[in-house]
Parts: sequence; structure tokens; C-alpha cells
Amino acid sequence: MRVFLALLLKEEKAIFTSPIAYVVITAFLVTMGYTFTLTLFVTHAPTLVHLFFQIYVLFLLTVPIITMRLVAEERRLRTLELLLSAPVTEVAVILAKYLASLSLVGAMLLFSGAYAVTLGIFGQPDWGPIVSGYLGLALLGSALVAVGLMTSSLVANQVVAALLSLSVFLLLWIVDQLGNFLPDPFNAFVVNLSLLVHFRPFATGSLFISDAGFFISVALLGLFLSVRALARR
Amino acid sequence: MPDIVVAEHLVKRYGPRLAVRDVSFVVAEGEVVGLLGPNGSGKSTILRMLTGYLPPSEGTVRVGELDVRKDSLAVRRRIGYVPEDSPLYEGMRVSEFLSFMGHIKGLFGRALSAAVATACEQLQLERVFKMPIGKLSHGYRQRVAIAQALLDAPRILILDEPTNGLDAYQVIGIRELLRSLAGQRTVILASHVLSEIAKITSRVMILANGRLLTADAAREGGSVPAVCLCVAGPAPAVSAVLRNVDGVTGATVEPTQDHDDVNRYRVEFLPGTLVTGLLASTVVAHGFGLLELVEEKPDLEQAFLNLTSKAANLA
Repeated sequence: MRVFLALLLKEEKAIFTSPIAYVVITAFLVTMGYTFTLTLFVTHAPTLVHLFFQIYVLFLLTVPIITMRLVAEERRLRTLELLLSAPVTEVAVILAKYLASLSLVGAMLLFSGAYAVTLGIFGQPDWGPIVSGYLGLALLGSALVAVGLMTSSLVANQVVAALLSLSVFLLLWIVDQLGNFLPDPFNAFVVNLSLLVHFRPFATGSLFISDAGFFISVALLGLFLSVRALARR
Repeated sequence: MPDIVVAEHLVKRYGPRLAVRDVSFVVAEGEVVGLLGPNGSGKSTILRMLTGYLPPSEGTVRVGELDVRKDSLAVRRRIGYVPEDSPLYEGMRVSEFLSFMGHIKGLFGRALSAAVATACEQLQLERVFKMPIGKLSHGYRQRVAIAQALLDAPRILILDEPTNGLDAYQVIGIRELLRSLAGQRTVILASHVLSEIAKITSRVMILANGRLLTADAAREGGSVPAVCLCVAGPAPAVSAVLRNVDGVTGATVEPTQDHDDVNRYRVEFLPGTLVTGLLASTVVAHGFGLLELVEEKPDLEQAFLNLTSKAANLA
């Protein structure tokens, strides 16, 4: 456990001493602030539904930037050789990188909580959809970080890793549109691969175990493939 | 000494390319062994397989009683490894890096502080202890890489081209350090610099095209063990006496310029026979004056050229 904590601490330091983290957080909060203010002035409704969809899109765009260097950089600089010839397991290395990246995503969500607090102070929001929206975003973030980590484990070039993640995310975003062109039962299968189809109920205040199960499954699959990619070397 | 590393029929394929072909060797505990070969001969791949970083495509590696594949973590606890070109975390300070490497090797608290202090003293890192690794010279980076490998006092130290890119003083420093470890630790080092490996190691293995050409270059490389003597006495009589000594395969005479009666002899003998003392006592017993006796060091360069050219011809 202490060895794992050492790995986690190393990853946390690497993330939070990098300018990328602060650029991503700043861009995220500026965009969120603009959307929140605009939506509130236009709708006069104490809801964060628009904000949640905005965060959904921003996650698709920023998670590749957060995860691109995780393994690709270690592979390029060959520090992976140093790390994996020490007595640590591939699972520990991947989990440490995953949790560290997830903590940055968590920090972004935490900061965006200021908007919910603002609504709570100045209005009477329905807290159910707000809680379910944040739960959905947390699950979405967990799945996206795992997929980003997986693509970073596959290549030694950070930019390629980011583009690969982005392509996978965009495909999983629009895949339900493609489902409409397919016959039964393929259409149902393809539609159910869509991130948006599973996120929408969370954002609007409906909780389904199947939606949570989808994000958890994607996260576990991403982590499993990351470990396999690391062990492949 | 018992064998601590046993590699049997190691094969490594990278796709269709064979990087290592059926390599087998043993290393005894406390030995300092060199792996010599041209660039691309498979040295680094073999070292990576010994550390468990790369799984062999075929064959096995045992470290002590442990199998590198099945007991990978336990094996890695016994090995300190310095990869080629010292890949390090550029953003970390030396102190941070050594602490991190100590942590992942299972060192904490006082044990960690003591290990870091010892490694820093051995590698003379005190001056750069708080500096970021990214700002260090190549020599210091190499020393930091060796320091991390020594942290948990591993039984086996594996170094890939440890003196690459170092200046003469740094090379001497690393050489002295590795020599001082002989007997306490088993050291396996790879290099393509023949002179360097000859100075550090007690045994040299030669590789070419992924094949192990010899597990002991001095013994099998074709260089003949020989002794040079300077003897006062009639040349035909001295030669006859020298040739009659058990194990001697030949003696050649070379007159010296200073004295008519003093000649230099080069005596070749069978590998594995120790004739130096016998030669000296025989010369003296026959009433000749023994002025000088020098044992010739095995010609590693010749052995390397012989073996690699044979391998090239076979290929």
C-alpha cells in the first residue's frame, strides 16, 4: 500500500506541477462561468441542466489533454523501463496514473460546484437533478479518463495519444446517430454504446443502474486494456 | 561460488525479427561479468530479460531459485538495474527521485534516509542533491541512475553501457566503484567498449547478431595463454629446457640488443595449465639466470575479432 501511495504521490505531483492542469482548469471555469451566467439570465430558472451538458462536451475535449502524457511520455523517455524493472506491478502503475488524473477531473467538478452553491444561496433549486447530474459527470469522467489512459498506453507520442482519445470520444458521442441507419438488433446495440444516451438521464434527474453500469464497464475495460498494453511492451 | 543467474535457451523475437537466438549462460555469485558485442547484438535485450522488464519469447531465466517470469516481483527486489542512457524523471530533484525509487523498492523512514545517504556518498552526489535532474550533466545523470540501483543493496547489479558519454575521470570513478563491488554483489554489465569492459570485469561474454559466441572470451576466444621470460644463457639450451616443461606448447626466442647471452622468450602453454611457477623453477634449476617473467594478459581484442569474424563467416 505504501508503495502504491508513493506511485500515486509521484503522479499527483506530475499532474499538478504541470501547466497543462492549470490551463485546463482555467479554460473549463471560464467557459462554465460564461454558460452559467448566460443561462441564468435567459431562463431565470435555478437549474444546472445546461451546465451539465456543457461540462459533458468540455470533458470530451479536455480529458484527452489530461491523459495524453500519462504513459506515452514515460514510454518516450524510457522511464517506464526504470519503473517496471523495480518491484512494482503494472496494475499499481496504471491505478496510480488513473486516480491521479481522476483527481484533476474531480477538482474541476469541485470548482464547478460553486455554481450549485450560488443557486442554493440565491434561489430554490431542485437538488435531486443537481446531485444526479454531478454523479453522472463523475461516472462519465471516470470512463473517459480510463479510455484516455488506454490510448496513452498504446503509443509513445502524446499528440497521437490525445488525437486517438478524442477520436474515440467523438465516435462514442455520435454513435447513436449511426444506430438509426442499422437494422435490428444492431441499432439497439450501437445506440447503447453512446455516451450521450447514458449521460442524458443523469443530467435531467433520472437515475438508472444500467447507465451507471455502462460508465463503470467502460472504465473497467479501459483500465484492463491499459494494464494489458503496459504488460505487452 | 553458487550460480546466481542461470539463463537457458533465451530467445527474443520482435515481430519477425530475432533479436536474441538461443542464448544460455550462468553467472556465479560475486562475479563481475561483461557482455560485449557490437551495437544491435542483443546485449540490452538480454539485460532487460534478466530484469524481468522484457519477457523472453522462449527460454528461462532463474535468479537464485526464482524464475524471472513466475516470480517477477521477487526477482526485481534482488536486482538493481541501470538502463542504457539513464532514463530519469527530469522534473524531479535528485533527492526526490532517490526517495521515490527507494519507496517503490520498499524503503521507508530511517532505512530510506540511510540508503539515500550511502548511495549519495558512494556516487558523490552531495553537491547536486537538491538540483533538478533535468539540469544535471550527463556524468551526474549516470551517477544518479547508478545510485538508484544501489539503494536497496541488491544482490545483483545490472548495468547497460554505464560509462557511455562520460569523461575520463568519471569513467575511472565508475570503474573503481564497480570493482569495489566485486565479491559483495554480482555485477553484469553490457558495453560495446572493449577496453573498458576488460578493465572492469573478471569474465567477458561476447555476443554478435543475437548469438552468444562465448561465455568466457579469454578462455575460448582463441587467444593463447603465454608467458614472456628474459633469461641469461645459451639460447638453444634455454629453449630446449622451456619446451620440455609440462603444458608448454611452444617457445620462441627474440635476442635482446644489450647482451649477447641474454634473450627474451615467449612461451605458450595449454589453456587451464598454470606453468608460470614451474617455468621459473626449471630455468633456475638448470643454472640459467632468470631476469624477468611477465604473464601475458589474454588478448581480448584478438578474441573478439576472431569470434565475431567467425560468426560473420558462418552467417
